[in-house]
Amino acid sequence: MIGPMARADLRRVTSAGSFLGPLETEVMVRLWKRRSATVRDIVDDLGRSRELAYTTVMTIMVRLQAKGLLLRERDGKTYIYRPAYSRAEHRARVSRDLARGLVDEFGDVALAAFSAELDGVDARHRAALRRLARREDRGPR
Amino acid sequence: MARADRAFTLVLALALASGAILVALLATLLPRVGHLLTNGATDVADLVAALLLLLATCGIVLGAGSLLRQLAGTAKLIRALLARTVPMPARVRSAAHGLGLDGRIAVVDDERPFSFCYWFLRPRICLSTALVRHLDHDELRAVLLHERCHLRQRDPLRLVVARSCAAGLYVVPVVEELVGFYTLQKEIAADEEAVQSAGGVRALARALYKLLPEADEVSLGLLVPVSSLSITEARIERLVVGGEASLRLSPLSLALSAGALLGASVLVAVGVGTRMTFESLPPLLAVLLLLVGPASLLSAAAVEGGLHQVRLVYGVVRR
Repeated sequence: MIGPMARADLRRVTSAGSFLGPLETEVMVRLWKRRSATVRDIVDDLGRSRELAYTTVMTIMVRLQAKGLLLRERDGKTYIYRPAYSRAEHRARVSRDLARGLVDEFGDVALAAFSAELDGVDARHRAALRRLARREDRGPR
Repeated sequence: MARADRAFTLVLALALASGAILVALLATLLPRVGHLLTNGATDVADLVAALLLLLATCGIVLGAGSLLRQLAGTAKLIRALLARTVPMPARVRSAAHGLGLDGRIAVVDDERPFSFCYWFLRPRICLSTALVRHLDHDELRAVLLHERCHLRQRDPLRLVVARSCAAGLYVVPVVEELVGFYTLQKEIAADEEAVQSAGGVRALARALYKLLPEADEVSLGLLVPVSSLSITEARIERLVVGGEASLRLSPLSLALSAGALLGASVLVAVGVGTRMTFESLPPLLAVLLLLVGPASLLSAAAVEGGLHQVRLVYGVVRR
């Protein structure tokens, strides 16, 4: 059963940015890899492939922390950041949010939807769809 | 006639037939309301009549409640989303070119990638900016073709009617199962139209794949009771291998529905114990076979169907 608390939590997850921006994603990927890092560590990591200002990365990491995706603790004069969720946990949260989002927020809605609520899809069907999506068209099916 | 149309017609036909029997039963009972309110239940026939009136009241509350909940929930959702309408992006205009959807598409600013068809008499299509951002021209066109099918069929209206019928006719639980089948068939029909109009399956498959939640092998617990597949899985099977999804009704649901309708018919025939034919039979036989037995059949179906409707309201199970 999805009670009021769960619904509020889902809305919070939504506002926490189910879909991260490109730079946010890069920062999260590096933090999932490193497990914990300072802003400087991430600037150096990202700096190998592109030029980014320290303040830009810091802004992104502070934003991710505000969204609840990063935790931080002070170590002397610097903050050490670490992911609040593993990558798998984050994906599962995003999935739940996307799948339930609209209907859980608004209850028994009458919509005919392509994707308002994509429900559970197992790995076998996912793989089959991926193959179909990558196949060249040869007629209607 | 397309399978989605046939499924909807089946829902309506069963709803009308069942509704006619149950309304006839209610009409038989109404003259006794005054007597029951004044004197209370004085014999078994009165007790059965009181029980049936209670079941009928539950049906009216469930049906009207479902209708109101759907209308209110949809209006609230649409109002919230349309407050964030943005000017139509050129990519959407280009993808919709020639589809006859002028003035029927709204694009709303939202981070969730979704699209749906809404409103009842003159439906419209809603796309989120995230969806527009994620899909290329062909994929976007495939999604619009899918939604256009829902729009032409007025599927949101059909859905409201079908769900309200299923809730009101909770003593005939097979109606709810048929609504589930219709829900699947309308999505498959929209996919088919999109594939045929786009001239291939790939754009639609790519769009669907891009929008799937990223949760490999994570059960989201949102399975819809259409065989053992979720609706999205059934759509994928249809896209990949073709073939028709067969209608599988639960034997329990079928038995309870048949029992309830048989019971209601018997109770109508004997006027819930007021007809002369009833009074001319041996009392014990008449009471057991023509009153208590039929009422028990109705009650058993009411408990099963009623609990399911309550679970739907509280989100324990999904349509």
